[in-house]
Formats: sequence, structure tokens, C-alpha cells
Amino acid sequence: MSDRNDDPVAEEEPSPADAPSTPADGDAPEPTADPGTRGPVADDDPQGSTNGDPPSVAAAAGIDDDVIDTPRELASIVRVQWILRSTVGAVVFGAIVAGATLALGAGTDVVPAGRSTAVTAGVGAFLVAALYGVLKAVLLYRSWEYVVRADSLYLRRGVFTHVRTVVPYVRVQHIDTTRSPLERLLGLSTLVVYTAGSRGADVTIPGLTPERASTLQTRLERLAIESEEADAV
Amino acid sequence: MTDGGDRSRDERLIGRAFRLHPLSIPYRVLEQGLGLAFVLLVVGAPAFGMVANSLGTSLTAVLGAVLVVGVVGYGVAYYRRFEYELTADTFDIRSGVFARRDREIPLRRIQNVDISQNIVQRALGIAEVRLETAGGSTSEAHLKFVSVTRANRLQREISRLSRAGDEQSPEPEAFETLFEISDRELGLLAVVSTDLRIIPALFLGASLFAPSAAAMFDAEMLLYGYQSVIGAVLGPLVTLAGIVLVGLLYGALNATLYYGFTLRGAADELRYERGLLQKYSGTIPLSKIQSLTVEENVLARAIGYASLEIETAGQSGGGEGNQGSSQSAIPLATRDRVLELTNSIEPVGDVGFERPPKRARQRYGVRYAAVVVILTGVLWLVDAVVGLPFAWWLALGALVLVPPAAHLKWRNRGYAVGENHVLTRNGFWVRQTKIVPYYRVQTVVSSSTVFQRRRRLATVTIDTAGARSLVGNDAKAVDVDDVTATQLREGVSGNLYTALRRRRHDEGRRRRFGDRRQSSGEPVAEE
Repeated sequence: MSDRNDDPVAEEEPSPADAPSTPADGDAPEPTADPGTRGPVADDDPQGSTNGDPPSVAAAAGIDDDVIDTPRELASIVRVQWILRSTVGAVVFGAIVAGATLALGAGTDVVPAGRSTAVTAGVGAFLVAALYGVLKAVLLYRSWEYVVRADSLYLRRGVFTHVRTVVPYVRVQHIDTTRSPLERLLGLSTLVVYTAGSRGADVTIPGLTPERASTLQTRLERLAIESEEADAV
Repeated sequence: MTDGGDRSRDERLIGRAFRLHPLSIPYRVLEQGLGLAFVLLVVGAPAFGMVANSLGTSLTAVLGAVLVVGVVGYGVAYYRRFEYELTADTFDIRSGVFARRDREIPLRRIQNVDISQNIVQRALGIAEVRLETAGGSTSEAHLKFVSVTRANRLQREISRLSRAGDEQSPEPEAFETLFEISDRELGLLAVVSTDLRIIPALFLGASLFAPSAAAMFDAEMLLYGYQSVIGAVLGPLVTLAGIVLVGLLYGALNATLYYGFTLRGAADELRYERGLLQKYSGTIPLSKIQSLTVEENVLARAIGYASLEIETAGQSGGGEGNQGSSQSAIPLATRDRVLELTNSIEPVGDVGFERPPKRARQRYGVRYAAVVVILTGVLWLVDAVVGLPFAWWLALGALVLVPPAAHLKWRNRGYAVGENHVLTRNGFWVRQTKIVPYYRVQTVVSSSTVFQRRRRLATVTIDTAGARSLVGNDAKAVDVDDVTATQLREGVSGNLYTALRRRRHDEGRRRRFGDRRQSSGEPVAEE
């Protein structure tokens, strides 16, 4: 799909993400790596460097090679944030179940009436929901990964539905870092990358340390500006 | 300063502040007054009574008069404090009675210029003008109202100025008519535009009638036969007829919307006009097009017809009546003709669609079967609690429909990777083929649910800045092989750069970019 070589500009560039400026390319456990996209790259690499290929955005922005294509995880404390958040939901859920059981017990004889049944049901529901929340937080943390690639930001995450997002730097409109009270308490920060696409809000990286977030923010800003200028020439 | 519609034609438009058309005062006052009167009648009548009781009639009348004066006064003040001005590179609006607002819209950022007129406005010779830019949730500029001639001149001038850039081309470009709806097509549109998605709703509705119908079925039909058969058939028939009628009415309304539809095109712009009662006209700059959608519903497909829609990043296409944010370029025409025009706008060429792997079809089969089984289970529960007049397991009969349904869903899915475009196709009832040029791609997302992963499938969503995507109408290659999905995701985002470079290469000589180009936060619809 990327091998139409009939136009001069597109020539040896099946996937700019794999431009020759990234020696770490080959050995890094690139998450997107699969035979399909990697195959042709290996062939192109040597000739690409001799051909005056347009450099990748990252190369133009002077980003260190060891940053590029290195998958990063979130700060592990983000699990606490997610667990706390889900626990609040679990409490509400438990309360609702308890209330419903109480009402049901009073009104019908489907469940035995009385406070103890309601409390048991509520606590049970809370425990189930809390366990679910903990499991999900752990798994979500494990699934999270972001990669600053040569020409795009790549995110992957998801427990039940795996989602992988590619954000080309040219499309970045602006970048926010936000910190909620809970995040401030835990020493975390969230990075939001806005694009003009409707899914802009999808591009959110939670659970970064503030330093990491601001480094990433400046880095992405530089990349966005660099890609813009490369585009604007 | 005023907008007398009958001024001389060579009146200077650029660089002068204008007011709205004077007739817009009475129109707006009446419009608002009617709204207010309606609210007062429905909500306020009792309140009025109470006020009248406590204050006395005369005082209430005074209050009412104050209200009227207030509305009229506001109308006049709005008119007096509203000014717009077209400069060489911006459109400025100074407005606001209490809170003032000065707004400058760079002409290069304007996506569409829409004009609409309802019957009353047509009689008065005034029109509503909207300017759309990307990203706004509402129209950036909303002129209520200017004279028709002024509206048309504004539309012309804005597209001329925004297009011109540095090379001034004072002569309006020659427009050629690309498409004009014929009476036959309009008639077909009325028939075909019946929304076929109501058919599932019909089934749902039928299930409400099912008890009574089935009662006849079970108890009488087998025993007494003939007459009750008629009854059992007639009931649903009446329902069906009603639905068909509603559908046709909807179609007829649609036909009035698209009455006299004309699409004309110049080198960098499309312009359309339509409407019987309410008239719309709008511009679509070719350089702002985000994606194209060829849409065919079941009926249209059966007779070889299709429609074409164009998405820009602007807010709305045809004024208030039309909540869709994409403009119809062809309401209905033969498929060949639609493809021809599509190709003239975005030269896609001949691309073959790749269907999802066959295991996707199994997935739909399983999904539909699961829905049927769950519904049957619900019926069983209902039967256990309330008691149904028919056997709950009859619902399992719907399983017969599962294989063809799964097949049709699978058959109409697909994606294609062209030289400059990526295409996706989805939907059986309304099949939408989306054409996205690579250089319009914003982000690419692939996702796979638990069920998709079981079958090694994934969905690739190609996001553009089109406003329609707000309702999840992005181009989606659904249920492709997961390896293909990865290739597609990386390939499309990679092709974006290639396409941008190529465009730059092509345009480098032709167009010098303005200095504004350098500023960061460069919005969407760039090239």
C-alpha cells in the first residue's frame, strides 16, 4: 500500500515513521512492529540515507535519537489514581444496590426485608465493583504505552478494547498539561494533545510525572512547529 | 451606511462598514415578538392573570407595553449597533447592544458562505448570510438580514478575495453547471429518500402490536380461518401503509428542500442553490474539502442511483433547517454520474475495494444470533412474569434471517487504498463510501475489542477535520485483518506526509504563502 513509486516525491518513503534518522529503529521493541510494515523498511533504509530523502520531523527538530521510538510507560502511581477513582464509583454503586435491596425487600418478597440483607448486598456489590476497578487499573496501566516516533506520536492502551492512536506532528494544534487536585496530590500530570480532528480529546496521556509531562510538552511543541515549517516551505 | 437593496451596482463593497437591511428590524422584532407572545400564551397566561389580579389591569397593560417597547427598542438598537465590513483580507463584525463584540475573520479561514431565505424573507427581498470557519461550534458570522443582492455580492466577493491571495483576479470566474436536478430525479429522490432505517423500528413497533395480532393468530386463525386471517393481515397492513405514507411525506419534504438544485463549479469553488419554499445557496471552496461521501440507500442502490456529499470543516451546510454539517453536492443522480463528479473533485480513479476477511462475517452472524437469543430470553422472562399470548420460542424463528443479514453487512463493508486517497465503505441500509485525501488526515486510530481480537480483526478510524465526524461519522475500515489494520494505520499516517510534501512541491511555485502562515496553531484547513 505504500509502494507506489510513480511519483518523484514519494519515492523511497513508504513510511516516514521509519526514516533513516532512527538507528534505534531496528532493535527497539517497536510496538507497531509487524512483518507487514517492517519488511520494506529494511530494504529502503540503506538507499534512503544516500538519496537526500526529506529528513523526518524528529531529525529536523533535533530530537535525540534515544528518545525516538522508545516506548514509555506511565508512572506506576497512576494506578492509585485510577483505583481511587473507581473506588468512588464502587461506593456509589454499592450504595445504590443497598438502597435498591432495601426498597425491594420492603416492597416485595423477592429478597428478605431488613437492613442486614441490604448491607450485605451493598458491601458485596461494592467489593465486586472495587475488585473490578483494581483489576482494570492494573491491566490498563500495563497496556499503556506512548512512543515519540520520528513523524508521529503513537499511543496504545485499552483493556477490553485495544486502541492505538497515531497523531502526525503536522496535525498537532496545541498541547496542554493539566493537573487535577488528585493528580497534584499524587504528583501526576496529564498531557492533552489537540488536533483539529473531532477525536482530539482522544489524545490524552495521563499519569505522567510533571517533569515528564513538561518535557514531553516542549518536545511535542518543537516537533509540531518543526513539522509545520517543513510543511510551510 | 445603510443597506438599501437598490443602490447602484458599482457601489464599493470593500473597506466600508455596512449595516443590516432596514427591513431586518421589523422582521426580527416580529420574529422575536411572536416567540415571546407564544411563550406568554403558553406559559405566561396564568402568570399574567396572577399579575393582573395583584397589580390591577392598567398596570399590567403598562407592563406589557414596556415589554413591547423593550423588544422593539432592542431590535432597533441591535440594528444600529451592528456593523459589518469586508476588507481585503478580513471580514469584520462589530455587534452587541450591551456587550460589544468586535470580530475579525480572516477570509482565508472561511470555509463556506451560505445564504438562506425563507418565504417571508423572499417576499421582503432579504436573506440570511452565514460564514463558516473551521472549529467553531456555531457560525462565525451570522448576518440577519441583508438584501439579496448584497448577500450575493458578499458571497461572490468573499470567495474571490479569499481565493485570490496575492494574484488578483478581479474578473469573476466562469462557472459551469455541473449538475442540475431533473424532475425525474427529484421525483425519485422523494421516493428513495424514505429513510429505510425505520424498518427495524417498524419491526419494533410491530412487536407492540404483536400480542393482539398473535392473539388472533393463535386462538382464532387456526380454528375459524378465513375472516380472522384478513383481520390479522389487515392490521399490520394498515400500519405498514401508515409508515409508507410517513416515509413518502418525508420524501416529499426532502424533494422541496432540493427543488431546483443546481451545482456549479469554477476552478476552485463549487456553488449550489436549492429549495422551493426556503431557498439556500452556498459556496464550497474546493481547497477546503475534507472528505467526500457517496451515499446510496437500499432503494437507490437497487435502481442504480446515488448521492454525493461534501464535508468541509465548517459548521453547517444549509442553514438552520439542516442539522447535517456536510453539503449535498448531488442529492440524487445515477451512480455513474455521481462517480464522474466525484472523480472530477477528487481524482480517485479506479480502486478496488477490499472486503473484510470472511471471519468478520461469522462475527456478524454470531452477533445477530446473540441478539436474537437475548431477545428471546427477554420474551421468555416476560412470558414467565406476565404471560404472553404466543409461544416465546417463536422469536427464535428470526434466526433464519441471521445468515443473510450477516452476509449483507459483510458484503457492504470494505476499504480501498488509492494513490492519493483512502476509501472506506460501510452500511447495508445506507451504504456510505467515504473518500479521504491523505493530506486531510488528522489522526489515525485503530482499535480492537475483545470480540474482534478473538478473530484477529481490528477497526481503523481515519479522522478528518470534517464537522460531521462530531457524530462519529468518520471514515472507518471496520473489521479488517489486524495485520492489515496496522499497515493501514501506519500507511495512511505516513502517506499524509508524502501527500503534504507533494502538494507543497506542486504549489510551491504557484502560491506564495502569506505571512500568517508562519504563526503557530495553524488551524485545520490549510492547503
